[in-house]
Amino acid sequence: MTFINYVAREINCKIVYYGPGLGGKTTNLQYLYDITNAENKGKLISLATETDRTLFFDFLPIDLGQIRGLRTRFHLYTVPGQVFYDASRKLILRGVDGVVFVADSQEERLDANLESLANLDQNLKEHGFDLGKVPYVLQLNKRDLPNAMPVAQLSRLLLTRGEPVFEAVAIKGEGILETLKAVARQVLVELRKSA
Amino acid sequence: MSPSNIVLYEAEYLRLKSILAMTQRDLRAELVLLIDRSGQQIAFEGPARGIDLTALASLAAANIAATDGLARLVGEPEFSILFHQGKRRSIHISDVAKRCSLVVVFDDSISLGMVRLRVKRATSYLEEVFRGFIRKTEVGGSSSKAGPGSKPSLYFTDEDIDKLFSFFKPKS
Repeated sequence: MTFINYVAREINCKIVYYGPGLGGKTTNLQYLYDITNAENKGKLISLATETDRTLFFDFLPIDLGQIRGLRTRFHLYTVPGQVFYDASRKLILRGVDGVVFVADSQEERLDANLESLANLDQNLKEHGFDLGKVPYVLQLNKRDLPNAMPVAQLSRLLLTRGEPVFEAVAIKGEGILETLKAVARQVLVELRKSA
Repeated sequence: MSPSNIVLYEAEYLRLKSILAMTQRDLRAELVLLIDRSGQQIAFEGPARGIDLTALASLAAANIAATDGLARLVGEPEFSILFHQGKRRSIHISDVAKRCSLVVVFDDSISLGMVRLRVKRATSYLEEVFRGFIRKTEVGGSSSKAGPGSKPSLYFTDEDIDKLFSFFKPKS
């Protein structure tokens, strides 16, 4: 749910990074935090367990700059990927403007990817969104691992509607910025359509 | 159907600010913050010393959402008020019009009873403002009066979008 404040000349949008546990969602945000200038980012908040598994969410506010005189701020969230945190995932999707699905390319994680994707579809529906229409990007992470499935095969299994697909190695920062740019672009284009 | 965007124009924004300012003055509160349910801050008043408002808005919204979930689990429609008491500062969070929440940060010189009283008053004024601009948005859409020449354009081009992200410094 984009918040447009004409007085403060600001657009605020919410992007949620979704996907199976240990897929690289938090790593995406950590990298973005590291490469963003201090004046363009807020605090990175991580509500995690003692073993650094996301418990509730990670949150990173980023100021992308000005567009037609409007300051453009994106609030990036990750959800906890572990299966039993579904109640929390539902809450974080509230008011979402765009979604990034971070898939784990490893062959043995295919079922987890598919389960998480089905879960995303279901949870979006409960909030009145349609995965076929909401701004959405697919990131295939962990491309550097030897057991990573071929991109064509993995894409065929995970693509929902011909969305942009980005290969990534999140721990090295590869593909992260491109993913964010793509989903941000979709969100802004959607906003332009509604103007 | 997906929820509609919130669009804030000057008249409503100033009215919201004045209600928050009145509440902040009456309570001598550190912060009176209005947020939407997805964690965006709408307006605030108060010195807010050392408080990261963006982080607070996000965490408060998550808190409210989690509490809503807890309420439903135990068969309650909602827990409409959250109160967290600290040694020096406390936080009171309450629902406004089922779309937003009012967060009040105050110190131990103010009683909880007084906070509740003033929040109740503020909430009724805020809900009146929201009823007004939801009506205006439904009737007038984006042509609602922001003043001639004062409303920034949302007709940005692909080139405008490309110019964003320029400050990122990818690691080599």
